[in-house]
Amino acid sequence: MGLLTILKKMKQKEREMRLLMLGLDNAGKTTILKKFNGEDVSTISPTLGFNIKTLEHRGFKLNIWDVGGQKSLRSYWRNYFESTDGLVWVVDSADRLRLGDCRQELSALLLEERLAGATLLVFANKQDLPGALSKEAIREALALDDIKSHHWCIIGCSAVTGDNLLAGVDWLTDDIAARIFTAD
Amino acid sequence: MSYSCTSRGNSQDPSSAKQSVGTNPAQTGDSGTDSTGNGSPKQTEAMKVKKGCNSSEVVGVPVTTEEELLTRTAISPEDVLGLQKITENYLCSPDENIYSIDFTRFKIRDMETATVLFEITKPPSTDKTGEKRDIDPNAGRFVRYQFTPAFLRLRQVGATVEFTVGDMPIENFRMIERHYFREKLLKSFDFEFGFCMPSSKNTCEHIYEFPPLSEDTIREMVLHPYETQSDSFYFVDNKLVMHNKADYSYNGGT
Repeated sequence: MGLLTILKKMKQKEREMRLLMLGLDNAGKTTILKKFNGEDVSTISPTLGFNIKTLEHRGFKLNIWDVGGQKSLRSYWRNYFESTDGLVWVVDSADRLRLGDCRQELSALLLEERLAGATLLVFANKQDLPGALSKEAIREALALDDIKSHHWCIIGCSAVTGDNLLAGVDWLTDDIAARIFTAD
Repeated sequence: MSYSCTSRGNSQDPSSAKQSVGTNPAQTGDSGTDSTGNGSPKQTEAMKVKKGCNSSEVVGVPVTTEEELLTRTAISPEDVLGLQKITENYLCSPDENIYSIDFTRFKIRDMETATVLFEITKPPSTDKTGEKRDIDPNAGRFVRYQFTPAFLRLRQVGATVEFTVGDMPIENFRMIERHYFREKLLKSFDFEFGFCMPSSKNTCEHIYEFPPLSEDTIREMVLHPYETQSDSFYFVDNKLVMHNKADYSYNGGT
């Protein structure tokens, strides 16, 4: 029995998943985290560190890490890669000017060895804003179809209304579960 | 150090929430709820909780005693996991918090009714550089909580802590919190935050099922205020750097 198999078996016992939520500043990561957990989202300030939630969702123990996205903080992201099962990349769909940055940061992450085994969920957030690009437009702008290294999915959502947050998390946890809990 | 209490929900007399914390239990938190959870979510703990573990259940961790640990120069997570009861003393001095870790908020919410039951925030410390008003070196390390009996019947709660970190990065930050009623360990949290950015503000919410308590235990806990106690141990790179304590009553509002 290889080490990986043993690790898989250990995780299987606890059905624990570590999700890492990243994205440019002001993408809505903290709002997503809070809305998903039924918290007030009317006053949210920039994250200058991390926000963690541990919770139970459909029989899985989720440890969700939301790490600040300001440019000065991005060099610290790598400190949170270890053991990540799912990467949630949050995009401000109305921030057309920074889509280039957004694409670059994401493609750099996908080259990271320690994220090699992670499933990728892209949240095209802020779909409630009039100027928001559709998830198809985001998919193209981020060149998601070029990704061969990771399982991925893009979902349009609104952190403020809560639209599609559950759908996204369910897809992500299902994909991870299929990869790490049933493989033998 | 003073805390301002911003409890929503069933708020108490705000004057009682402005008191300073210290080793002498003067601090009052507050709150309580009339929540009568009647959903039937049957989930397990949302984190590494060894619930209801009596000493014998913790496998592979050697039993330790406070007396023994007080003689050590450095205390590890395994050391405190081996403790069988609440400590009488603090196992490290306030000076050992060289990373200036500062807890700035505690919040408890009831997940079933989505209400904040208790929230206490500490204004950013202004005395970081200046005046060291050292009256009681243990000020700020002890908090007394006063809840109503209904608190013990909550099903699922979210407990948030917010903390700030000084200008040095922390490689590996870990928290172990042990709650006892008398000699019995009710629950033991063990959570690894890992890396903390320099000058950061971080939050962590654990959403978990309340340990199921027998009617007898609940009655005893209500009848005997402050015999429910907790030790919170904080480690940087597996060395104890902070130790906070709290005690609890559940007879509020009676």
